[in-house]
Amino acid sequence: MTHLVRSALIAYLAEVSPSRWIGRTALMKFCYLLQTLRDVPLGYDFTLYSYGPFDSNVLGDLGGAVALGVVREELELYGLGYGYRIHNQLPLEDITQLGGHFLAQHQAHIHWVTQQFGTLSAAQLELVSTILYVDREAERYGETLTMDQLAEQVREVKPRFKKSDVVWEVRSLNDKGLLNSPK
Amino acid sequence: MPSPNPYEIRCPIHGFVFFNDWERTIISQPAVQRLRRIRQLAWTDYVYPGATHTRFEHSLGVMHTATRLYDAIVERSSETLRSELQYTDDGLRRGRQLVRLAALLHDVGHAPFSHAAEELLPRDAGGARFTHEQYSAAVVRTKLRSAIEDHPLAHNSGFTADEIASFLEGSKQARQSVFWRDLIDGQMDADRMDYLLRDSHHAGVQYGRFDLERVIATIVAIPDARGAAPRLGVSEGGWHAAEALVLARYFMFTQVYFHKTRVAYDIHLREALKTMLPSGVFPRPLDAELDEYLDWDDWRVLGLLAAGKGGEHGQRIADRNHFREVYHTPEVASRDDLETLQRVKDALGNLVAAEESASRSWYKTGDADIPVISDTKAVAPLSKYSSVLANMRLNNQISVYSRPEQAQEARNKVAEVLNRQ
Repeated sequence: MTHLVRSALIAYLAEVSPSRWIGRTALMKFCYLLQTLRDVPLGYDFTLYSYGPFDSNVLGDLGGAVALGVVREELELYGLGYGYRIHNQLPLEDITQLGGHFLAQHQAHIHWVTQQFGTLSAAQLELVSTILYVDREAERYGETLTMDQLAEQVREVKPRFKKSDVVWEVRSLNDKGLLNSPK
Repeated sequence: MPSPNPYEIRCPIHGFVFFNDWERTIISQPAVQRLRRIRQLAWTDYVYPGATHTRFEHSLGVMHTATRLYDAIVERSSETLRSELQYTDDGLRRGRQLVRLAALLHDVGHAPFSHAAEELLPRDAGGARFTHEQYSAAVVRTKLRSAIEDHPLAHNSGFTADEIASFLEGSKQARQSVFWRDLIDGQMDADRMDYLLRDSHHAGVQYGRFDLERVIATIVAIPDARGAAPRLGVSEGGWHAAEALVLARYFMFTQVYFHKTRVAYDIHLREALKTMLPSGVFPRPLDAELDEYLDWDDWRVLGLLAAGKGGEHGQRIADRNHFREVYHTPEVASRDDLETLQRVKDALGNLVAAEESASRSWYKTGDADIPVISDTKAVAPLSKYSSVLANMRLNNQISVYSRPEQAQEARNKVAEVLNRQ
């Protein structure tokens, strides 16, 4: 994928998300979800941090998209914290042209991810993507887990979440057919 | 009472690096000693002759720096660590040892000449390229398992090689310890802090210097106001030191890591290695192939180069007859700049010998922002404090190289294209 195609992907994710902008956490997790749930070959190498699956190359590509003027980033300060808003800067037809065949081929997957997960907060996205990461790792090593066991393993990574909250999210993902390891 | 870390090695950056008997046993293993035969900055000494230091001294330096950062965070952020990650005193003592060992071993899977040859790491069954971190984890699980698990100090803490490997890989098995991965691979990591200071020192430049002591005195775990995971950042008094760390990285990138001649030698090394490696790529980090991989170090490559086994590119290294940069985009290239680049490449045709992109470099800059927490507990990114960083953009420079014998012809063609604009 070229810089321009990666930039177009970021712009498109922002454009079609429900709020028409996305935060940095949403960008990171949407890329993870596209790669993991829809097999979109983005080529990122996500590993687990306390804030969920992460690859610094995603933020590098965001920096590239900003430098190219394809997206704009705004800092948003609120209360005691802050976040970023990534906005598309181009007409839709220009994004489609920049994104070329790759974007056309995976457009439906991008819409699916933004529809399914586009309204979640950063904290929820961290939790959902961590559940999926733990699930896929268990599958890779041939572990079969109950949903409670999966939730417990997620809580070992993110112990501040209540077990009931993690179990609820695990069940919700399982009901959507998105988990592979629970028996 | 005997000192818990009775051994020491001199370090040009940190004075002394101290370690205990368990760590000494691990450091003595052949897989760790191999790092003495892998240079930190590949062929950078062809530009900066002093830069001949190795991954071995860097690894010791990262263990030292990570420990100091860890201790500072625990002292200053105990409440956050206990409430957000449910750490106990015992857990924090154990976490310290885990961070020390992970820092020591984070580069143990490096290929010869460090990052220069990483494009020749093979792909797994799913098509993803193996990373040097995966090699490090494989080495920990196999070659270092006995040294890690059989020492009496290991028995006291119940450490396993798998625990350290899982931490390095970013696996769920690392559990709450994944929080500390930011100390090894993050915006405020010990790896970066050590290599900037060390590479600067050996290259003889000042670009990588920053106030490590002030960073250590202000580093803190910062909870998220909206319930996301805590991150490493600095208290308000440390923001200039954090700014200097980011700028040090920027200057080292432009002046050393992405130096046009240094990059040319990376190209030649990569191409020479393709000729030397049996199938053009390194062995995989699996079973017996890992032994074959570990047999590859700088000494072996230098021996093959000396024996004339590096083909055209090996000869270019030997003769210092490297590719020449004939065109580069601005550091922050716009879409117009990329269009100009394309016109230049079209005009050059087969005079283009290689193309290198800064944004794909391992040392690239411009990713995450560093959170800063004020005395009133308000958190803002470092770029809000620093007008310099607020205006900093990712370096996405692309450089085009030609063979030296064709460089003048190429430069003339580039001039024609630029004159037509």
